[in-house]
Amino acid sequence: MRKFSNTYVFLYVSALVLLICVVLASVSIGLKSKREANVTREKYQQILKAAGYKDVPKKKTVSFFQEIAESEKGGKTSEQYHIRCADGNPGIVVRVQGKGLWGPIWGYVVLSEDGSSIKGVSFAHKSETPGLGAKITEDEFTNAFIDKKLYDQNGVFTSVRVVKKGQEGDLLEENRVDAISGATITSRGVDNMMKELRIEN
Amino acid sequence: MSDIFNIFIRSVFIDNMVFAYFLGMCSYLAVSKSVKTASGLGLAVCFVLAITVPVNYLIDKYLLQPGALSWLGSSFAQVDLSFLSLIIFIAVIAGMVQLLEMVIERYMPALYMALGIFLPLIAVNCAILGGSLFMQERNFPTVAHSFSYAIGSGLGWLLAITAMAALRERLKYSNIPEPLRGNGIAYIITGLMGLGFMAFLGI
Amino acid sequence: MKKYLGPLSKDNPILVQTLGVCSALAVTAQLKPAVVMALSVTVVCAFSNLIISLIRNTIPSRIRIIVQLLIVSFWVVLVDLLLQAYFYEISKLLSVFVGLIITNCIIMGRLEAFALSHKPWPSFMDGVMNGLGYGLVLVVVAFFRELLGSGTLWNHQVVPNALYHAGYLNNGLMILPPMALILVGVMIWVRGSGVDR
Repeated sequence: MRKFSNTYVFLYVSALVLLICVVLASVSIGLKSKREANVTREKYQQILKAAGYKDVPKKKTVSFFQEIAESEKGGKTSEQYHIRCADGNPGIVVRVQGKGLWGPIWGYVVLSEDGSSIKGVSFAHKSETPGLGAKITEDEFTNAFIDKKLYDQNGVFTSVRVVKKGQEGDLLEENRVDAISGATITSRGVDNMMKELRIEN
Repeated sequence: MSDIFNIFIRSVFIDNMVFAYFLGMCSYLAVSKSVKTASGLGLAVCFVLAITVPVNYLIDKYLLQPGALSWLGSSFAQVDLSFLSLIIFIAVIAGMVQLLEMVIERYMPALYMALGIFLPLIAVNCAILGGSLFMQERNFPTVAHSFSYAIGSGLGWLLAITAMAALRERLKYSNIPEPLRGNGIAYIITGLMGLGFMAFLGI
Repeated sequence: MKKYLGPLSKDNPILVQTLGVCSALAVTAQLKPAVVMALSVTVVCAFSNLIISLIRNTIPSRIRIIVQLLIVSFWVVLVDLLLQAYFYEISKLLSVFVGLIITNCIIMGRLEAFALSHKPWPSFMDGVMNGLGYGLVLVVVAFFRELLGSGTLWNHQVVPNALYHAGYLNNGLMILPPMALILVGVMIWVRGSGVDR
């Protein structure tokens, strides 16, 4: 192989780095809007799922959401929407977030208008174990939350707890759902997340 | 404080680089033939992780993240350089490894003799880059958290490769089906060890 | 054509050369991410090989590792950005493992051993074939893990409900990361006994 002078080496690397940075920067900027649209669409999809809308085509998600959303209130710490649910009644969407086994988990809870019971939920996760913790996104788990109550018979806020079978204690049937077997920590994460559930006026 | 300790324990046992994420498998399989060299490489990985992860953390936090440049003035607050993070991380790692090699050779010849041959290997060890990428994904609040994560992951890797090497030294005397010898059995053993490590999940 | 086929079985990067296992196994719990991962690696490997081969006579040998790393990371970032824009769901599943393609020893190994000393077209083919050889193992492992672990393929249920009613259960063990290693071990075993005969 030929010998190269120090100047050549230096210039070579500089030119290469510059070229790569310029190309990547332009691609990144070019695709930015697309990427952001993906993030928003995913969020809306999740809310629609929680609100009971099935089979909304991917492409129509955003326009469909804007159609049913009545008011939007997003801040740094909380995100809240008023929407019309699939059954025609109004609902309040609240975002919840917490920690699973490997990384963050989050979700959207749709509450009835008076904020006392759950109309639907949908959860998402970053990196839970497929087939175990990742089951929190599946209908089998989320459907269990439908029609559960956030308050016990004395009107005390209990939220909907996620508990293992046999450890229900004195929790009412309507205040709890079954944890996913084999995914103790992810279930506990959902439990903690639901305990933090608050509606802001 | 307890947070930092938690991260440390988790990264050694639960989020073990080898058993949970299969990172650094190439050198893990290639170098785990004797305990001595294995622990040498393990130490080197520990060392490099402990330096590169906090450095990359600072770079990520103050240069690359969306809005990270706001300390330069509000007009920079919108700049998002995160698409460069991969390239910067790998450059930092390659540079650091080179630098370390020179420093160690000059000032600590004994350590250089022990680690020397492994250092160049490390620049392309996925465990090192993986350390930085997971650090970025997990959003640690302070540099101390990222440091404890780095040390923990390094120790976890050291633990894994040393245990593996010890097992492989014993394996020489066992009767394994011919086609399975060498790498085949190494994969299976790693898998079984990984299953064993899953027992720590409950902590 | 035949000279390019080695990486598929005889010189398979994962099974024989034990390269690139790092990022291979964490994405194989389901078929879909495994296929995308395999394609990404093939693209990165082929195009990095091509570029390095094109500029091989201008690279100063002292800094060739850095130049290789730069080229590889360039392609990886490009693939990552494209995935995020067009295959958002899958890019989330792969998360950091796309980034880890950079340190995939297959790519660096092929650059060093092949692209630096060969013409562009053979280098490109070499990259494609090594990527596919790698992908093959990924897909086989993912096939068995998804089928036995979740009873689905490509997210569609294939194990009939009747079987579940008859008491069949998904093998949760297959989903756990260590099973990927054991499956690769078994593949080496199967391959090894085939070659001996």
